[in-house]
Amino acid sequence: MKRHLRVDDLARDSRFVRLPLEARFNDPRPQGSRSSSGRSGGRRLTPDRPGAPDGARALMHGIFVGEIQALEGAGRTCYDFDTGAGADDVPFQLKLDMARQCWDEARHCEISVKLSEWMGTEIGEFAESTFLFEAACNPDPVLRLTGVNRALEGLAIDVFNAMRDFGDLAGDPVLEFCEDWMLADEVTHVRMGSDWLRRLTEADPERRQRALEFQSIVDKLFSGGGFRGEEEDSPIRLARRFRQLAGFTDAEIDSISEGSRQARREAEAARQRAAAKAAG
Amino acid sequence: MADPKKPRPAFAPWDRRELPGAFDVEETARRVGNYKWVEMRLFEALGGWVATVPELDVKMRLGTHCYKHAWHSELWHKRLPELREMNPERLTLPANSAVEEFMEAITEPEGEDRTLEKLVGVYRVLIPHKIAAYTYHLNNTSTITDAPTIRSLKLILNDEFEDWRDGEMMIQSLIETEEEARRAADRQAQLESILVRAGGIAGPGSIGMPAPEEVTA
Ligand SMILES: [Fe+2]
Ligand SMILES: [Fe+2]
Repeated sequence: MKRHLRVDDLARDSRFVRLPLEARFNDPRPQGSRSSSGRSGGRRLTPDRPGAPDGARALMHGIFVGEIQALEGAGRTCYDFDTGAGADDVPFQLKLDMARQCWDEARHCEISVKLSEWMGTEIGEFAESTFLFEAACNPDPVLRLTGVNRALEGLAIDVFNAMRDFGDLAGDPVLEFCEDWMLADEVTHVRMGSDWLRRLTEADPERRQRALEFQSIVDKLFSGGGFRGEEEDSPIRLARRFRQLAGFTDAEIDSISEGSRQARREAEAARQRAAAKAAG
Repeated sequence: MADPKKPRPAFAPWDRRELPGAFDVEETARRVGNYKWVEMRLFEALGGWVATVPELDVKMRLGTHCYKHAWHSELWHKRLPELREMNPERLTLPANSAVEEFMEAITEPEGEDRTLEKLVGVYRVLIPHKIAAYTYHLNNTSTITDAPTIRSLKLILNDEFEDWRDGEMMIQSLIETEEEARRAADRQAQLESILVRAGGIAGPGSIGMPAPEEVTA
């Protein structure tokens, strides 16, 4: 088996439909649904929001395919690199962490399949975007871990926290229970990313800088339009306390928050320009 | 209750553990190093395969099994310094070149149409051989001096039996035609023949029967 797959190599059964990331963000349907249409209601995901059930189903399906890719990405990190101390190698202990993450993500897949079924969603009902695995294709293991375990798994912390709150507000104790367990695992995965970034770049500040820049690019992608931030009506709230547990500094969290506010201002300005243009 | 001051035998009547064992410290370290090498190649391959397998249930099982073999490799890694090998990497080796060839052959399938070959290699060839070698080790090492290895072997064997059953059931569910049954059997025979040359996952003597050339040497 070759090392270093491409996104197109990911194997899926016939139910799955893939959507490029840009198309997903430009898709007017909530979260790229193949069955619903029209954006409706407020920004934050709450049970009383119009279209909330479909929004929650779409988000849960997105979590499910994200879990598959997290499993695949951690598995590839076990395989793609030699074990050792060289610049292109990874330590034995890092591979053990990635194998542990494989088990955790496999459980998350199982949990999200069952939750999706419970919410009335079929596998493949919503399209799959492959942004997580794209970050997991980075040939530098430090950049790969920083992009996946800090940026994307950090986003997972925010999303699971939001879904846990949604379960609480919607009176769905099973959803709340499962999201709480997955949140605990994700904090562990983000902490792995924080620890390995620190340990592997201790004597290489330039590599650390490159890894943090890669993380920031991935982070920005998911702050698009203020999707994830600290405003009262942000669709996904930044889970500050859990990020601290996972090794994020306050300055790092502030920076993600500010990035989101900026993205929101830019999106608002773009909307106003478009409206003015339409009005002639 | 009996008088707490009354002398009792050091070994209770039901405790039949014995001092003699088939392996000295050096031989135990060699075998443990071979086991660690195999467990590492296996967990890496299972992790690598997850993305290449389209069957959703198999994908998730491989992810779970990947961790178990990683944990086994960690148990063996930690045992090596206790067996006077302070540089565990030095003994983390295939038992011989045929074992190396075998692990390369097992991990060769890549395409999404080759799940059967991937699973047969692991669950019909490698894991049964691991169960055999680990059982031989368990039943022949000193039950007193080598208790830490015995504890690891028992924990690992429990995983191996469970995973073997999982894997065998996945294979049976994938085989739907006579042609596929033959495909599985051919793959098994191809890999078994390499292990015959290797003498098992720890080389000749993996299950206590020296290879013929060793007997005559
Ligand atoms: Fe996860
Ligand atoms: Fe995770």
